[in-house]
Amino acid sequence: MRRVVITGMGAVTPLGLTAQATWAGMREGRSAIGPIASLPREALRFGIAAEVRDFDALKHFDEKKLILLDRVSQLALVAAREAIAQSGIDFARDGIGENTAVIIGTGIGGEQTNDEASRRMYAENNPRLHPLTIVRLMANAPACQVSIENGLHGPSFATVSACASSNHAIAQAFHMVRSGVASAAVAGGTESCITLGAVRAWEAMRVLADDTCRPFSKQRRGLVLGEGAAVFVLEALDDAERRGAAILAELSGAGMSADAGDIVFPSDAGAALAMKRALADAKLDVGDVGYLNAHGTATQVGDVVETDAVKQTFGCHARTLSVSSTKALHGHLLGAAGALEMVVAIMALARNVVPPTAHLDRRDPACDLDYVPNEARDKQLDAVMSNSFGFGGMNSVLVARRY
Amino acid sequence: MSSVKDTIYDIIAKESGIDRAKITPEATLKDLEIQSLDAVQILFEIEDHFKITMPDRDPNFDTESVQGLIDTVEKLAAEQGATPPAAG
Repeated sequence: MRRVVITGMGAVTPLGLTAQATWAGMREGRSAIGPIASLPREALRFGIAAEVRDFDALKHFDEKKLILLDRVSQLALVAAREAIAQSGIDFARDGIGENTAVIIGTGIGGEQTNDEASRRMYAENNPRLHPLTIVRLMANAPACQVSIENGLHGPSFATVSACASSNHAIAQAFHMVRSGVASAAVAGGTESCITLGAVRAWEAMRVLADDTCRPFSKQRRGLVLGEGAAVFVLEALDDAERRGAAILAELSGAGMSADAGDIVFPSDAGAALAMKRALADAKLDVGDVGYLNAHGTATQVGDVVETDAVKQTFGCHARTLSVSSTKALHGHLLGAAGALEMVVAIMALARNVVPPTAHLDRRDPACDLDYVPNEARDKQLDAVMSNSFGFGGMNSVLVARRY
Repeated sequence: MSSVKDTIYDIIAKESGIDRAKITPEATLKDLEIQSLDAVQILFEIEDHFKITMPDRDPNFDTESVQGLIDTVEKLAAEQGATPPAAG
């Protein structure tokens, strides 16, 4: 089997419009959570989120193309462009694009298009919907737009597993490149569902925080919605070395599992199973992993269950592992969460810096790991792990190591 | 005429599937072994029935007693001007 490396990554996130800007925002400990600017706040209970600000679509797309693109696809395309540019890969050379896969996860798809169509129909009694409504809102739109723009003819589709969607996308792409089913892959996730309908639906579940996102804290009050996209270029190690590409990290393992339990209540056993499978797949020992980017959504139950799962997986090494949830700064990107957090984990690995869990002032006795509270920390890292757990008990965990 | 208490008992029994006879004013949702997702649905049905908006609180629904729910609904119905409709 081939070894798989990451040669490019891009991100458009609440912390910044590139992967570098996102990391810089995180190092500064800058929280991107604030009042929702794109919706009427009086219609919302709390009205906070982590939005992508100052994203000017017309700087990236001409009007003729833009009419085809929901914001969820716009963000994915811009992130993919950054990743492909960084990798320096030429898809035309040696026919590599003929079999490059494009797998982009999203939890919801083109929600803004859907919300707008519903508003026209039900609120305005306007039966005429835009003829491109379907091609904008379909959940595979981001994947096919990246495939079309780059002329990539390999396997292409979306993965959907709520908040684990993009880790499943990256895992699937990893398997394809490793086995040789695909020559290379463009993979990641995207989400943009800060609409009145979607935010009200989240509010109705009573899992949203009203102040900010406080993972693993005694005062945590739930998650804060975010939006954004992050995309990677994956290649076989031999191919990347042959063309002299700069290798950011080796993607060394993926582990997936299903709780097969409750629709929302997570299972520590299910999460631990995915983490153990990822380590076994990467052929790493628990002591090799120095940093875990936790799922850590800041719900009452989820943070405790994940803490227990980390202990079950890492045993005595759970105490020496640095664990942080960067959602405190960038919010919960749902179907793009895993991809963004993999960018964070790769940056951490590259720079030997562990990003902090912000807003962690009061410890919850039930959350008793080293969560790197409030300040980034220098630490020599050889391998990193990133967890994503979706509603429905869908778990996907990635492991990367220094190359 | 159906009282607020009767309606809330009906909603709890229907949404959680527990025996209505087990519900007492002193019981918390946790005592009644009601899961969080069921609790959220109970709150939604109460809000929808009485046309009120329940305050958000720390997400520990299970510490709320049934009497606490009844008191909250009666207070909100008075404040928010909605007349509790008779149960259908």
